[in-house]
Amino acid sequence: MIQTAHIAIREVKLGFRNPWAYSFMGLFALFMLCLLLINAQGYVQGYSGITGTTLNLILYLLPLMSLLLGSFSLTAEKEDGSWELLSVYPVSTWSFIIGKYVGLAIVLLVIVSTGFGTAGVLGFAAGSGFGLLTYLQLLAFSSSVALFFLAIALLIGTLAKNRWQALTIAVAIWFFAIIGWPPLLIAVLGFMPYPMIKPMVTLLTFLNPAELSRLFTVVKLGGGAILGPEYYEWIKWIRQAGGSFSFAAVALLWIGSVMAAAQFVWERRRLRG
Amino acid sequence: MKNVQKWILVFLLGVLSFICLTPSIKAEDRARDLQSLINEAQAGATIILAQGIYEGPVIIDKPLQLEARSGEEVTITNNSDKPAIQINADDVALTRITIRDEQIKKQPTVLIQADGVLLDQLQIHTGSFGIKMRKANHGEVRNSSIVWAGVVSNRPLKLSDKGNGMDLYESNGNTFYGNTVIAMHDGIYMENSDNNLVEENHFERLRYGVHCMYTKGTIIRNNIGRLNITGAMVMAARKVELSNNQFTKQSENVNSQGILLFDAHEIMIFDNHVEGNRVGLYVEQSTHNRITNNSIVGNFIGLQLLDAENNTMSGNQFIGNVASATSRNSANNTLDGNYWDTFQGIDLDGDGKSEISYAINPFFQSLVKAKPGFQLFFQSPGMVFLEGLYQSQREQWAVDASPLMKPTENVRFVISKHTLQHSATIGGLLLCLSIYLIYLGVRRK
Repeated sequence: MIQTAHIAIREVKLGFRNPWAYSFMGLFALFMLCLLLINAQGYVQGYSGITGTTLNLILYLLPLMSLLLGSFSLTAEKEDGSWELLSVYPVSTWSFIIGKYVGLAIVLLVIVSTGFGTAGVLGFAAGSGFGLLTYLQLLAFSSSVALFFLAIALLIGTLAKNRWQALTIAVAIWFFAIIGWPPLLIAVLGFMPYPMIKPMVTLLTFLNPAELSRLFTVVKLGGGAILGPEYYEWIKWIRQAGGSFSFAAVALLWIGSVMAAAQFVWERRRLRG
Repeated sequence: MKNVQKWILVFLLGVLSFICLTPSIKAEDRARDLQSLINEAQAGATIILAQGIYEGPVIIDKPLQLEARSGEEVTITNNSDKPAIQINADDVALTRITIRDEQIKKQPTVLIQADGVLLDQLQIHTGSFGIKMRKANHGEVRNSSIVWAGVVSNRPLKLSDKGNGMDLYESNGNTFYGNTVIAMHDGIYMENSDNNLVEENHFERLRYGVHCMYTKGTIIRNNIGRLNITGAMVMAARKVELSNNQFTKQSENVNSQGILLFDAHEIMIFDNHVEGNRVGLYVEQSTHNRITNNSIVGNFIGLQLLDAENNTMSGNQFIGNVASATSRNSANNTLDGNYWDTFQGIDLDGDGKSEISYAINPFFQSLVKAKPGFQLFFQSPGMVFLEGLYQSQREQWAVDASPLMKPTENVRFVISKHTLQHSATIGGLLLCLSIYLIYLGVRRK
C-alpha cells in the first residue's frame, strides 16, 4: 500500500515535469475554448449540436493523450532502466502497476480539469457556456474516457519494448476505437444474419470504452431517444440512477481486467528477466 | 320508574340520531337534479346555475344556455358510464362549469352531436375522452381546460387507457381557441373533419398535440406544445396551414418529433419554432408542401426527409441541431435559401447566398433503414468520418441549391436558460485544484 503510494507520488512528480503533459493540457484547454466560442447560442443544456460536437472532439483528443502519456510512462521505465533498479527492491508488480495508474490518472484528471476549468471560467466571462448539469456530465464523460484509455495505455506500455512500438500500437488502437469502429462493425456484421446484428453491436459496444462512454453520456444528456426503438429498454434503464452505478461498475470491471492483464504480462517478464 | 327511564333513553337516542343523520340527507339534497331543471326549461332559455355540485349524467336536447352565476363555482359530477353531458340540440352553450367525470369508461365526458354548440371556460377532469364531437359543425370550444384525472387501481396506467382531449369525427368548421389540454391521449384529434381552426391552445404531456387524419383545410396557428410524443401530427391530410406554433421538448420517446407530415399534401408550414425535439421536422411520403421561415433549433435531428417529393423549403433556419438534416429517397424537392449552421458556404457575388450547395448525406439514413441496430452510431466520430467519405450518387441527394450564409434574424431560444454561474464556480474550483496539484508535483521537497 505504502509502496503504491510512493510510486503514485513519484509518477505525479514525473508527470508534471513532463513537457508533454503541458502541451496536451494547453491543447485540450484550447479545444474547449474554441468550442465555446463557435457556439452562438450562449447557453447549452442537454444533447444538442454543440454538446454532440464537444463529445466528438473530446473523443478525438483525450483517448490519444491518455494512450500516449500512459504507455510512454511505462516504456520510459524500461528504456531508462529505472525499472531494473526498482525490481531489485521488494516492490510487488501490482503495487507498481496500480501506483503508475493512480499517478498518471491524477495527471490526466488535472489536464481535464484545467481544460474544463478554463472553459467554465472564461465561458462565463464571455457569456457562453454549458449549464451546470451538462457541464458535469461532460466532465464525467471526459474523466471516464481518460481513465478507460489509461488502463489500455498501461497494457500497451507493458507489451511494447520501446516508445516507438508503444506509439504505433497506441495510434492503431486509437484509430480503431474512435474512427474505425463504425466502419469495422458495419463491414463485419454485414455478413451476419439480421437478428444477430443488434445483440452483436450491443456486446461489442461493451468492448469499446469510447463508444460505451459516449452512449452513456448521450443517454444521460437526454438524447437516448435518438438511438432508436431497438435500444429502448437499455435507454430507460441507463437513465435511472441505477444506470450510473452500473456504468461505474462496468468501468471498474473493465479497467480492473485490463490492469490485471498488464500485471500478468509484466510479472511474467519480471520473473523471466 | 324504570319504564320512564327507558322511554327517556329511547327519546334521547332518537333525537341524537335525528341530529346526526339530518346533514347527510341535506348533502344528498345538495346534489341537485340538473336534468329536471333542463327538462323544465323552455327552448332558448338561459339557466343560471347557483353555486354547488350537480349530479350527471345530463342530456340536453333543446337549445339552452347553461352558465354558472358569475363568481360562483358550479360543478357537475358524474359516476355513471354515460357521458356527463350529452348535447343533442343545436346552439347549446355551456359557460364556466367544472365537470368531474373521473371514472374510466368508453363514453366521453362531453358528447356533442349537434351544430353551433359553444363551450366556454369549462374545466374538464376526465377519465375518458374530454369532448367528443360527432357530426357537430360550426361549434366553438374556447378558454377551457381538459386534464386527465382517471385512476387505474390494479395496474400501471397505459397511454391507451386515455381518451383524446377533443375528438372530432365528421365535424367541420369548428373553432378551438385558447384551450389547455394536459396528460390526455391526443390533444385534438380530427378525423374526416374539415376546415377546423385550432388556435392559441396549449398542449402538454400528450401523445400528439394536434392530430389530423383525413382532414382538409385545417388551420393550426399560434399553439404551444411541449413534452408530447409529437407536437403536430398531420397524416393523410391536405391543405392544412400550420403556422406560428411552438413545439419544444418532444424528445423523450423514440418516435418523438416536433412536426410530422405523413402522406400529407399541399400543407403550408411557416413561422413555426421547433426546439429541443428528437426530430424537429419529419416529412415522409408527402408532396407539394411549402415549408418556409421556420426556426428549427437544438433538435437531435433538424429535418428528416423520407420518400418526400416536390416539396418547397426556403428561409428555414437550422441551428444547433446535433444533425442538421438526414434524408432518403428525397431528391426531387426544391430546397433553396435555408440556413444550415453546420454548413460552411462561399458567397462570391455578395447576395447573401452560398454558391456551393448543401447536400444532405443519405448514408446514415439508408444504413439504419436496412439495419436499425446501427442506429447506435448516430453522430459517433467514426460515423461522421464515414459519411464524409461516402459521396456516391450525389445527384440523388436532397440538395439546398443556395443556402444562406447567415441566419436571417436573431433566432430566439425558448427553452428556459439557467445561469452559467454554477458551472463557472465549479470550473474555478477545478482550476484552483489543478494548479495546486501541479504546484505540489513540480515543487522540490
